[in-house]
Amino acid sequence: MTAKAYLREAIARALREEMTRDPSIVLLGQDIGRYGGAYKEFAGLFEAFGAARVRDTPVAEAAMIGVGVGAAAAGLRPLVSITYMDFLMLGLDPLVNYAAKARYKTGGQMRVPLVVKATAGARGQGVAHSQCIEAWMMAVPGLKVVAPATPADAYGLMKSALREEGPVLFVDHKRLYPTAGDMPADEVLVPFGRARVCREGRDVTLVAHAYMVRMALAAAEALADEGVHCEVVDLRSLAPLDVDTVAMSVARTGALLTIEEGQATCGVGAEVAARVRAALPTQPLRIARVAALPAPVSSNPVFEAACVPDAPRVAAAVRALLS
Amino acid sequence: MLYQIAVPGPIDDVEELRVLEWHSAPGQAFAAGDLVVELETHKAVVEVRAARGGILRAILAPAGDWQQLGHPLAIVSDALDEPLPAAASDLAPLLVEFEVT
Repeated sequence: MTAKAYLREAIARALREEMTRDPSIVLLGQDIGRYGGAYKEFAGLFEAFGAARVRDTPVAEAAMIGVGVGAAAAGLRPLVSITYMDFLMLGLDPLVNYAAKARYKTGGQMRVPLVVKATAGARGQGVAHSQCIEAWMMAVPGLKVVAPATPADAYGLMKSALREEGPVLFVDHKRLYPTAGDMPADEVLVPFGRARVCREGRDVTLVAHAYMVRMALAAAEALADEGVHCEVVDLRSLAPLDVDTVAMSVARTGALLTIEEGQATCGVGAEVAARVRAALPTQPLRIARVAALPAPVSSNPVFEAACVPDAPRVAAAVRALLS
Repeated sequence: MLYQIAVPGPIDDVEELRVLEWHSAPGQAFAAGDLVVELETHKAVVEVRAARGGILRAILAPAGDWQQLGHPLAIVSDALDEPLPAAASDLAPLLVEFEVT
């Protein structure tokens, strides 16, 4: 028996279950207390667990993540909510230089079980409130990065994140908040490092994460009417990256199109393409990438739409790749 | 005459939403302006009011169910003795007013 839920409900359920199970979990963020979070993804938690475990913070992301790292090193399991991923940049020093390296630096004596939830994506809010910088974070040794596309995966990955030994970046895309999806009735954890084939096809493999999975699926639907059968792989986890699932698909289709909302340069697609190429060294492959244009995301809706990939752009890239 | 009450729209970003609460029951009459059903999006409540009177005959999406924009939620009629059709999708939509709050 499954029931459908909004993304915010999936996240709130994961937090509620894990906070009930583990009293060391605390939440830090802006407007996550009585207000319930920017997308109501923390709704009901302040009432259930109180002000000591659900803490409103000032607008000070460097301090928020710094406090989170220290609290994690001292034995708590903090989740720090960054309302716009753009402001994750302010907290990169404690996250990258301390949290991600603590285990290595101390010879395994210190663990920093911190989850940073950062809301990404373009939705009419301009150059400093729209970015997807998860590809930068994939390049940090010691940091895990997950980016769900469905409520069920957000639920299962959040639960796994809150049981990790080291720091995790959990990316929730703001355009997924209006969407709903089937949820498991029972408690289900989604393990890190496992991609999901969400549509089967024989002609080309589309690889995406977060909101771009929906664009890939929409393009696949449109292309099916033209007789082109796309396989769509939702990465779910960016670090660790499930190259095996992608490579097995590409071995059958012979064609790989990566899709991301961030930049193409040093992007998720560049990494996926390089690793798939290495996994299939002798097979002839066609490879292309779809990503944002090399420009900031404007608050002008025409420029925003021009910058960020959509389903028609994905479909056009597939046609070009296969022609 | 028989009508359907469909999920109204457009609503920003929303393709599908959840029925929150019915304010009328099968067999009950409603007047123009009456609140018939409340729907829930990811962040707002949608109040659906009848733009004309009628009788609620069958609820197709009870509270907690999900429905796509433009798809039927209920069958209504002018008279209580009109036989119900097998499907609602061919029925004319009842005019509604809706507010997203």
